[in-house]
Amino acid sequence: MRDNQNISDLIHPGHVACPGCGAAIAMKLALRAMGPKTMVVLPACCWGVIAGPYPQSSLKVPILQTAFATAGAAASGLRAALDMKGDGETVVMAWAGDGGTFDIGLQSLSGAVERNEDILYVCYDNEAYMNTGVQRSSSTPYGTRTTTTPGQGWKRSRKKNIVDIMAAHQIPYAATASIAFPQDMMQKFEKARHLKGGARFLHVYATCPTGWGLSSEKTVAIARLAVQCNVFPLYEVEKGGDWMLNHQGNMRVAPYLKAQGRFGHLTEIDIQHIQEMVDADWIHLMEKVSRR
Amino acid sequence: MFKFADDPLRFSRSSISSRGNKTGSWRYLKPVFVKRTAPCSAACPAGADIPAIAHLTSHGRYKEALDTILRENPFAATCGHVCFHPCEHACNRSQLDDPLAINAIERHVGNWAIREKYQPVEKSPPNGRRVAVIGSGPSGLAAAYFLSRLGYGCDIYESEKEPGGLLRWGIPAYRLPLDVLTFEIDRIRKRGINILCDQKISESFLNTAAKQYQAVFVGCGHGRPVQMQIPGEDLALDGLAFLKDVRKGHPSPLKGVSAVIGGGNSAIDISRSLVRMGSAPIVLYRRRIQDMPAYDPEIKLAQQEGVRIKELTLPLAIERHSDSLLVRLQKMRVDDRKTDHGRSRVTPIVGKQETLQVARVFRAIGAVPEASWQQPGIGSESVLELSHCTFTADGLPIVHGGDLVNQTLSVSDAIASGKQAAMAIDIYFHKGWASIEAELAACRVAQGPALSMETYCDPEKSSRRHPQIVDFKDINTAYFPTSERIALDLDHPVDRRISFSDYRPDTSSGALSQEAARCFNCGMCNACDNCRLFCPETAVCEGEARSIDMDYCKGCGICVEECPRSAMVLEEEGHETGS
Amino acid sequence: MRQVLEGSHAVSEAVRLARVQVISAYPITPQTHIVEAISEHCASGKLPAKFLCVESEHSAMAAVIGAASGGVRTFTATSGQGLAYMHELLHWASGARLPIVMAEVNRALAPGWNIWVDQTDSLSQRDTGWIQLYCEDSQEVFDTTLMAYGIAEQVNLPVMVILDAFFLSHTYEPVDIPEQERVDRFLPPIKPKFMLDTNEPYALGQMVAPGEYMEMRHDIQQAMDKVPERLERIEQAFEGAFGRRYGTVEAVSCDDADIVLVVSGTVSSTCRQVLADLRSQGERVGMLKIKMLRPFPADAICHTLGHVEKCAVVDRNCSFGAGGIFAQEVRSALCNLQDRPLVFSYIAGLGGRDITGDTLMDIYGKTRDTDRPPKQSEWIGMTS
Repeated sequence: MRDNQNISDLIHPGHVACPGCGAAIAMKLALRAMGPKTMVVLPACCWGVIAGPYPQSSLKVPILQTAFATAGAAASGLRAALDMKGDGETVVMAWAGDGGTFDIGLQSLSGAVERNEDILYVCYDNEAYMNTGVQRSSSTPYGTRTTTTPGQGWKRSRKKNIVDIMAAHQIPYAATASIAFPQDMMQKFEKARHLKGGARFLHVYATCPTGWGLSSEKTVAIARLAVQCNVFPLYEVEKGGDWMLNHQGNMRVAPYLKAQGRFGHLTEIDIQHIQEMVDADWIHLMEKVSRR
Repeated sequence: MFKFADDPLRFSRSSISSRGNKTGSWRYLKPVFVKRTAPCSAACPAGADIPAIAHLTSHGRYKEALDTILRENPFAATCGHVCFHPCEHACNRSQLDDPLAINAIERHVGNWAIREKYQPVEKSPPNGRRVAVIGSGPSGLAAAYFLSRLGYGCDIYESEKEPGGLLRWGIPAYRLPLDVLTFEIDRIRKRGINILCDQKISESFLNTAAKQYQAVFVGCGHGRPVQMQIPGEDLALDGLAFLKDVRKGHPSPLKGVSAVIGGGNSAIDISRSLVRMGSAPIVLYRRRIQDMPAYDPEIKLAQQEGVRIKELTLPLAIERHSDSLLVRLQKMRVDDRKTDHGRSRVTPIVGKQETLQVARVFRAIGAVPEASWQQPGIGSESVLELSHCTFTADGLPIVHGGDLVNQTLSVSDAIASGKQAAMAIDIYFHKGWASIEAELAACRVAQGPALSMETYCDPEKSSRRHPQIVDFKDINTAYFPTSERIALDLDHPVDRRISFSDYRPDTSSGALSQEAARCFNCGMCNACDNCRLFCPETAVCEGEARSIDMDYCKGCGICVEECPRSAMVLEEEGHETGS
Repeated sequence: MRQVLEGSHAVSEAVRLARVQVISAYPITPQTHIVEAISEHCASGKLPAKFLCVESEHSAMAAVIGAASGGVRTFTATSGQGLAYMHELLHWASGARLPIVMAEVNRALAPGWNIWVDQTDSLSQRDTGWIQLYCEDSQEVFDTTLMAYGIAEQVNLPVMVILDAFFLSHTYEPVDIPEQERVDRFLPPIKPKFMLDTNEPYALGQMVAPGEYMEMRHDIQQAMDKVPERLERIEQAFEGAFGRRYGTVEAVSCDDADIVLVVSGTVSSTCRQVLADLRSQGERVGMLKIKMLRPFPADAICHTLGHVEKCAVVDRNCSFGAGGIFAQEVRSALCNLQDRPLVFSYIAGLGGRDITGDTLMDIYGKTRDTDRPPKQSEWIGMTS
């Protein structure tokens, strides 16, 4: 063992994430902010495999792997147990993919945040069911080709706005974060960590080079581009009504789309159409922000 | 109420970490930290490690910054005052917003050392050889400095009563204050180098030098002014002699208009000095202002101070006219054809002449070597022409350097000259004549011609040896928001005109450190830790330097992509570049 | 202290006295009285526990899985559709080796919507690795719930305490409810064999490769194998403390019986009366009440039924394509015996249809008067 290893990070090397995995970076940054008094509730997703096949674990914090739909509920139960044992310090952090949050896990998430459970729910979003081979989820953006929206059947429905859904539950804190803006991301995790007593939700953009048709070294660069062209804006919502913008992007979407194989089939008209959608979404967001 | 034996549970619970999984075996590309060459270092004739200097300065580590400068250049504060900073013209930052104020940084660090009296001297063990250096200008002083680092004993022979050459006698005090020069020459003296002033050397010295010395460096510069070859030439005063007089403290106020014939830096130095002595100078130049070989910023400063420049004007003759002088001038015009150097060709406008009445005329059209022995022989088999010096090995090795052989006549080129000569001499003695060029090439900064003494002394420290110069497109500008360059205030021209003191006020350390932080640090790892921050495998290790844990690195390349300053490359596994 | 309680409240009283720490439940008739009573206990402070009103049964089981992983005593309750919805997580709870106790009110499965008693729901889950204990009356419900924690925390397997919809859940009976101190002596606070702890971090529920999975499953089977013996000792202690015990099966008048009626749940009470009546008529009849379905008490059953000529298994359930489930289990247990009875299988009382004394009489008569049992289960009490 090299004695100059990163002993401050709570993630071990040797995990089986793809080279360049954005979700691995996301977990590393999250745990830097969260610290060792954290328990991770982990439903089926890529991280369910990255966490380590028996008997290995790739994290230095406790992990509870649970069934696909159950992140919100299992985290609620674990939180109740810790409260009964008088442990007010440990934070329960659900760590789910987009499938386990937007689709099959939505019921359990909605239930947990409606009860305002004292948990931090993190959705790391790679915009499809990547663990099972790149099938579409309701987080997959308009225009994407996946294995279940292949060829001319590319996805025509729009990405669900999960933060809007969380805001509608009026939880204390919801925010988006990106691995390409690590300081902003870690600050948000810190903020969420300290906002005890209620439900916090973080929507983290986690590049999947494997599933998006992207060279592995571009993981952070594409995440940056997503924010800069307002495809994935960075903002926070407190108590469902107070919207704060963290970053104003000023680029067009075309370079973002053209950089990824999963959008390779789009025509200039499609791209223009997507630009219009992004612009419209941006206006909606700005309306909410300006209501402060 | 009921007790049973404890059964061990066999279920899906982890018991070890994932570290046993050496994912490094997945890799087919691997990231390598390389110290690539920054364009500023490549442009600096002295080959200074500018990214390192800027980095250290930005952290307030002035001592280490100065040490870094001194490794390649003994004249930190001097260059900070007078160098025309080709580094800034090459700076990659200028393609984002404004170039780094490298010259100001060097000046600040150099001045700091003077203020703090920080004068580190590391004496190298003597190797038993001695070298005679002729001329204590920047090339001679530099040669002695670098030779003494390599263990040679040096005696510098200086014809004037004080050392410094053009640094003292050619550059006015408002550009290079005396205390700065003195401190930096002292730095060289403290190494045990003897500077023997008031010693004019003649050709015969070379015949007997072999008795005491194993090599000679000739850096005595251009001692003979170039003549104009016009009637009344003897009525003109020598410009360089004038500057020397000013330095010797002989200036008396000079009223009236002074004509200064020439277009180079000396003409400007003379003009700006005349302003401070009460005269109104007019520079007479036969081409256009934009063709003047003088440094553009200097020209602008001169104009701000009231110096008039008459372009496209050729002096034909000088006549005395009672108390004043009449200069007959030919008006010139630009010819479409260009000279070899790309400057405009000018031809007289037939019939267009004028006469200028002035109190005095100064000639500043250049200088040449004083004697033939001060020039190297050419074409002989035992003569090696290098970029900044010429090495003659006909018995006693004699190396000519500085203005005598340099293409560009500047202080930093003179320093480069001294360094190259020192290294060439050392190679000659250790590896032989035939090895000089190859060994020097191994110490080039990028493709050269600048050389790195650091590399010569420690080949493993291959900083700036990488042949590729970092281009602006190699910089990840996402990490560099635009920022304003430091405002380098100058004294107001009105205040400047009345004094020979330094017209550049000190910058605050805070502002200077902030400016130094604008440096991209092209090709140099400055421990920004982007690689470590983003590595999905936590395979980037801290330590004295950053390194990659090859047991786990999967070769994704994110570290290389996100390195803001191109200090990393991806290599194929199994192909070492050796850089 | 004896109280008149409905079956639901026998459960909730046991949960309170067991000092359960985290409850999570979703309402479904006829389990609602259980969870309402527990909610009141929590709200009033009688039971200092966390009650999570979750948004589905699937989440209810997920929540107690989360809580049990945190090392506390947990409880949930459901019925019918709810149990079916939880199915995936029933497997999870046992695979995760969590000592969860659940009250399961036997209710029919839809469509059509039917809230009344039927055993198909719990029996459909017999493969999920849960210990299944069927109850006849409210006292047994109360006692079984307490003992369930004992055995669950012993072998690290979850336990279902099963009671009939309405006939048991909503029927009032006298129940002896002991004081807290006596229960505490019988059932001390949970000492979890494992739990999530930041001081000793590990992962639970990981990916397991073919090379390791089978041993884990075998471990579950081995835990099940230990249940009869350990439950026996727990029952001994319970009897010592409270004067009652039940056994995994209860054999009544089987020693000299030619025909044994095999029953479970509230039908057992009816059967006792029918037994008395038939015996008074000189019939050599016995009754075998099966309490524990999982692990299946094959030894006890073989021991009781081995010498008997015929047995009539009354199933309030059906596995379509195969017939009554208790009958299948009994046949399996008996199949390798040299001497074994003929097994007659009857399906009755689905969806809350009453199984009266007459129904059982009818079943007995048919069994006695038929030489060989038909291949299929016979459906009793049909209107058409």
